[in-house]
Amino acid sequence: MSEVSRSGAPRPFANQPVLELRRAGEREALAAALRELDATLPLEVPVLIDGDRGAAAGIDSTDPGSPDRLVATSGEAGESHVSAAVELAAEAGREWAGRPAAKRAATLTRAADILRGRRLELAALEVRECAKPWVEADADVCEAIDFLVYYARGASRLERGPELIQVAGERNSMRRVARGVAAVISPWNFPLAIPAGMVGAALAAGNGVVLKPAEQSPACALRLVEALHEAGVPKGALALLPGFGGTGASLVRHPGVHVVAFTGSSAVGLEIIRVAAETPPGQGHVKSVVAEMGGKNCVIVDADADLDEVVVAVVRSAFAYAGQKCSACSRVLAHEAIADGLTERLAGAIATLAIGQAERFGIDVPPLIEREAAERVDRCRRTAADAGRLVAAAGDVPAEGWFCPPALVAGLPADAELLREEVFGPLLSIEPVANVEEACDRVEALPFALTGGLFARNPDTVAAVTARSPVGNLYVNRHITGAMVGRQPFGGNRLSGIGAQAGGPDYLLEFTESHVVSENTIRHGLVVD
Amino acid sequence: MPSSDPSGVTAPKIDQRLLEAEILEVGRRLATGSGSDLQHPIRALNERAMQLASRDQELRAALFRLVDVTPATRSLDDLGRHLAGLVGEVGSPPPPLEAALRTAHTKAGRIALGAAVAAAVRHMSRRFIVGASAADARREILSMWEAGIASTVDLLGEVTVTASEADAYRDRCLETLDQLEAGLRAGPERPVLERDSLGALPRANLSVKITALTPLIRAEAPERGAADAAGRLRTLLDRARALGAHLHLDMESLDARETTMEVVFDLLDSPEFRDGPSAGLVLQAYLRDSPGQLDRILEWAASSPRTSPVIVRLVKGAYWDHEVAEARQHGWDVPVFTDKAECDRNFEALTRRLLAARPGVRVAIGSHNVRSLAHAIALNRLAGGDDSDLELQVLRGLGDDLALTLAAEGLRVRVYCPVGDLVAGMAYLVRRLLENTSNESFLWAAAEGAPLEELLAAP
Repeated sequence: MSEVSRSGAPRPFANQPVLELRRAGEREALAAALRELDATLPLEVPVLIDGDRGAAAGIDSTDPGSPDRLVATSGEAGESHVSAAVELAAEAGREWAGRPAAKRAATLTRAADILRGRRLELAALEVRECAKPWVEADADVCEAIDFLVYYARGASRLERGPELIQVAGERNSMRRVARGVAAVISPWNFPLAIPAGMVGAALAAGNGVVLKPAEQSPACALRLVEALHEAGVPKGALALLPGFGGTGASLVRHPGVHVVAFTGSSAVGLEIIRVAAETPPGQGHVKSVVAEMGGKNCVIVDADADLDEVVVAVVRSAFAYAGQKCSACSRVLAHEAIADGLTERLAGAIATLAIGQAERFGIDVPPLIEREAAERVDRCRRTAADAGRLVAAAGDVPAEGWFCPPALVAGLPADAELLREEVFGPLLSIEPVANVEEACDRVEALPFALTGGLFARNPDTVAAVTARSPVGNLYVNRHITGAMVGRQPFGGNRLSGIGAQAGGPDYLLEFTESHVVSENTIRHGLVVD
Repeated sequence: MPSSDPSGVTAPKIDQRLLEAEILEVGRRLATGSGSDLQHPIRALNERAMQLASRDQELRAALFRLVDVTPATRSLDDLGRHLAGLVGEVGSPPPPLEAALRTAHTKAGRIALGAAVAAAVRHMSRRFIVGASAADARREILSMWEAGIASTVDLLGEVTVTASEADAYRDRCLETLDQLEAGLRAGPERPVLERDSLGALPRANLSVKITALTPLIRAEAPERGAADAAGRLRTLLDRARALGAHLHLDMESLDARETTMEVVFDLLDSPEFRDGPSAGLVLQAYLRDSPGQLDRILEWAASSPRTSPVIVRLVKGAYWDHEVAEARQHGWDVPVFTDKAECDRNFEALTRRLLAARPGVRVAIGSHNVRSLAHAIALNRLAGGDDSDLELQVLRGLGDDLALTLAAEGLRVRVYCPVGDLVAGMAYLVRRLLENTSNESFLWAAAEGAPLEELLAAP
């Protein structure tokens, strides 16, 4: 689809429509794509610098639902790869930055078209590599497309620069200029969309990019990089460095990096911010960081809430993709008048959830990403059950795969760890509150402020909570996950993140520095405006 | 094989001018009949309140939200607060409401307002809900029967999100079937209501919802909900067969359609239900793909081993706003007609095909659009059909006058009767039916005095 309509006016941005999976034909097409993909596994993910494919062995990426199935093998980039990639990105990035924004935008839009053309295959890859159920896998592919298109449009706006005050005798202008080299460190839970967002924004603003994807989802990252190269991003301006945390740490430390874009856990994010603040000898700039980190997301339920909607929305927010979203709901703060009834209905709803392989349509809870994750969540659940009361845990869990039963815990003491720490798994707690004000107090006491929910039907209550809430994304009377590019710019405050919200009007600025020029226009006594 | 040609080549050729003349004639009789009851003082008051609300979208939304939240409020004071909060959002509330807002600053004022709202909701709910329970509704259903009006009962309740809620709904349905059968057994003979040219029609008639029979509706996996609902539906079919009652599967939003179709086709085809009970399903004319759905229904009916034909209820569809919003949010093609005339034409094309498909199916036309009803009646008569082979259906509270008129015309009319808690049930009704502007457009047009010829003109 062209960005410009036949009349020449720019079309308003529209999100890529997700597949209408209620139609049997669309489901069959996805199942066929998965069969085709399976025939090609395992994929090879090389260290990719200047388009040269390096080693593609050393790290195994397996199917979380069937750990014996090897989805991809990837190389592991070391210090020398990091240096080579960063230096090339700086050089090739200068040429890329020199292209008019409209040209860069056209390249990114072309990459979006390529992803759109491969959407079934990409969704299938997410099902295999990350155990994303179809609905979520398809939505992730769409979001990746959205990010590329949205930031491509933003690039042209950015180039025009903001309006400044002009007075007689001077001409003022402000330009946004690429920072240089962006290091992108991306997670596995939105294996295409999140790297596409961070890489796409950095490229749109004119930077060279070095991408270090999560070791659990290298194949998804490779598909993204391939699409961008194929669309015309200079090979040197975008490198792929698969590897573990060490690769990412080297990349962040490298003095040639100007901006670090990170999405992942708070522990890693805070370490990145600390390291990035250093200015070792030979580094003539201060690195900036845009980071999306953890959350401890609460849904407040007032006494007048529509519980029919609350149950459905909370279950979806807490357990879809087994709770492995930074936006997922992990605490319900329910008005005491309805807390017991809501607990009972939530427990009943959790008991109906289908736990199973992501490739099966209609599965509610897929496996967790890896063994360590499943073991950690199991530990959290046991600890919470000891401290409080396990109200519900869905029954049968398949023997093979990193499955974890979705669970609801009540009666936790105020100082329980589970009420403060991010679990990143299918574990939800519920606690009664005397009123909405008390719920707001509890939300305010948390160090995190990513997403939040409110179910209330009095507009005055909605206004009061909106005014007090510290979270980056507050959802009212709906589920609290699934932010859409351009509709719900996404990102948190406090320890949940730093920098502008992704998919919003300010995000590209994170990848630029600004140059202001003020020119004297008085010549020979004449004022020329 | 039924034809997929919307004009229905299997129907006998009918002169269009004759048909339009007959429609005008039938429509006039129906419309004059239904106008008379608007003189009733309480009903007129209700109509005026709803008309007022319908003219102002914001106010209308605020009032519906108020009804919706009423059962969840904890006190009259709390209800008064909600009134103030919701009406406070309306840009320019009418003077009586502005005055009400001023009294909401004191507790006594709020309690008075809350009491007024509670009374209004109860009053309104008596118009739309026949009783709090099946036992409660028995008398009303029987007196309707005596007046020559058949019924189908719809149990209002919370959304089913757990297995035990689905079981509870099934049990309420069983209890209702028992009550309806026992209540109506004593009724006098009403040949128009209990016989068509194929034979006897059950007196007791219950409409059930698939989304209430299972918490597992997943649009992308219809087989999950179908498998779960089948067990409970089988129990209901067993009871209906034992009692000689009719069981009708309602159609809801498009997300639940495949589940409904799968479960209905599977169960009704099974040998145990070959000879009963009488059963039915619904075709929604607002869906663009409804002609294809009718093909599917007719193909199934033709190949089904059942001995008595299924009843197909043709309706416009009650989830228009939901379908449009959902499609727009996802960037999908809107699955419903967005042009009223197009939708009305489709309704008539489907009517034509359904009437021509008899006796393979029995036909019920559910509408408040006098043109749509008159079209079905006129077409049936001109094609040589018997009045008894066409059933007409309306909603309690929205089509009461029409029901009286249709009954007076000697036609079989069935009123869809919600049963449930007067306050909570009203909230569910508001959400499901009244919020959907599509349900009332004809009624509003009529109430606002559009000329009859215009209302009865071919769409």
